[in-house]
Amino acid sequence: MSGAADREAVFPTRQSLGIMKAKLKGAETGHSLLKRKSEALTKSITRRIDEAKRKMGRVMQIASLSLAEVTYAVGGNIGYQIQESTKSARFRIRAKQENVSGVLLPAFEAYQAEGNDDFAMTGLGKGGQQVQRCRETYARAVEALVELASLQTAFVILDEVIKVVNRRVNAIEHVIIPRTENTIKYINSELDELDREEFYRLKKVAAKKQRDNAETDAQMKAKKAEQQRLADSENAEGEQTENTPADILAAEEDEDVIF
Amino acid sequence: MEGLLFNVNNGYIEGIVRGYRNSLLTSTNYTNMTQCESIDDLKLQLGPAYGDFLASLPPKPSTSALAAKTTDKLVSEFRYVRANAAGSLAKFMDYLTYGYMIDNVALLITGTLHERDTRELLERCHPLGWFETMPVLCVATNIEELYNSVMIETPLAPYFKSSLSLQDLDELNIEIVRNTLYKNYLEDFYHFVNTHPDMAGTPTAEVMSELLEFEADRRAINITLNSFGTELSKADRKKLYPNFGQLYPEGTLMLSRADDFEGVRLAVEGVADYKSFFDAAGLGGGPSGPGNMGGGGTEGKSLEDMFYQKEMEISKMAFTRQFTYAIVYAWVKLREQEIRNITWIAECIAQNQKERINNYISVF
Repeated sequence: MSGAADREAVFPTRQSLGIMKAKLKGAETGHSLLKRKSEALTKSITRRIDEAKRKMGRVMQIASLSLAEVTYAVGGNIGYQIQESTKSARFRIRAKQENVSGVLLPAFEAYQAEGNDDFAMTGLGKGGQQVQRCRETYARAVEALVELASLQTAFVILDEVIKVVNRRVNAIEHVIIPRTENTIKYINSELDELDREEFYRLKKVAAKKQRDNAETDAQMKAKKAEQQRLADSENAEGEQTENTPADILAAEEDEDVIF
Repeated sequence: MEGLLFNVNNGYIEGIVRGYRNSLLTSTNYTNMTQCESIDDLKLQLGPAYGDFLASLPPKPSTSALAAKTTDKLVSEFRYVRANAAGSLAKFMDYLTYGYMIDNVALLITGTLHERDTRELLERCHPLGWFETMPVLCVATNIEELYNSVMIETPLAPYFKSSLSLQDLDELNIEIVRNTLYKNYLEDFYHFVNTHPDMAGTPTAEVMSELLEFEADRRAINITLNSFGTELSKADRKKLYPNFGQLYPEGTLMLSRADDFEGVRLAVEGVADYKSFFDAAGLGGGPSGPGNMGGGGTEGKSLEDMFYQKEMEISKMAFTRQFTYAIVYAWVKLREQEIRNITWIAECIAQNQKERINNYISVF
């Protein structure tokens, strides 16, 4: 045993043994649940981040090509006009909370504000369609970015949670379960000890009783032998009364058996 | 008849510009460029044509830097030609720059409206549209001062005066301002080449009329297509159509009433070239409408592409004529297309999207 210190301070009774056994069972169930939770958290989020990143790569590529198209069609740099003609954001983000395995995660949801066409007229003379399409592709790109950002934030928070969960898993696995097991072993051994003591005591009592019995027996026998001897001497004195004394003897023997 | 005296003043310029035309990239060059694996390879391929200008670029330059350097070459050649031009050719070349000037002024107006420091904008301006007094415009801090400066300092004053008031600058969308100016400019240019004694009745007038009419039609069609779904009303839209061109007046009238792509197609039915463009774009564009530069499918050419193609063909044909100023215009346009092509190819290489690299337009 790893030492008497590594167990809970309980009295080694049957009741506390029952409590400890329930506790061990609970700890084991909790351990397996928590372990599954931490695996679920890690697996789902990393796969989604991976997907989102790949998607972002694809979308960004398309988007930057559409920007090249704009440069080609407009034949110049329209960045400044676009910057200046935008007044309010068209692409907006709503934050909300999501519950994943009991963890509250912030989730960002992108939406496009209606009727917000600040630079609809850019490229009116030439390249307007390219500008609009470029905007659409970039809106999609930003959408992918928002999704990724949402996942990344979730990941940071989940990371914290996963750490806590893992810590709990480890605590249960390496501290609580062994300690409970120790306690159970301790209680068991104490109870066994008590059992043995009890048995020994009973044995002692039995032995004592036997000895006492033997003593009384011996005394009885001695008494009986005395009486026999007295009776013999009486018999030797009067032969005529032989039959009657014999009856008496038998009666006496009966008495003996009863005792 | 015009050939008799043309060379006295303009023979040198014509020779120079024809020389420049010969140094334009050919389809062989383009084929070589599309085979490049990196921007550095591309730079190497451009070496013979652009050597001096690309020399200062660092290894692995950005595409925008590449475009800036190639534009630099155009600008310096243009300035050289302009410096040697005299008389009506000089005036003609000034007209050529007004289009870029409009863009620059529009940029400055945007900056002033949003109360930015317009001095920072000067370097964003197109160098061909640079005029000496442009920095003066930056002194203006509000739109009224700017308006007055533009009226005094720039050759664009007539374009402003005839259709835009001070309030308009403040209230109208900058794109409408720009397109109004451009419309006035095109009309003025058209008037200029057809009435100036040196040009009227010469090949210059003929070729330039064709080029400008095409430009006017293209703008009208583009404005119509791009205005669908915006707050630009039909009446306002009509004001932006230049009052000449092959579509004018019936076509533009129909354009002004068009509600969708079909309406535009009907409006341009009368002109065989545009009709074929629209038929091709209608087939290739699919449900997303016209003007897709491969947005729907990579095979179909977009309307925009076909317009560029057509412009390049007209420009190329301009060189078959002699004794005309139009070759300067045609050369600038061809050169701009070349810069766009280089930028496009460079983008495709930089982004590793080779499947659409052949979207450039090569005419030689």
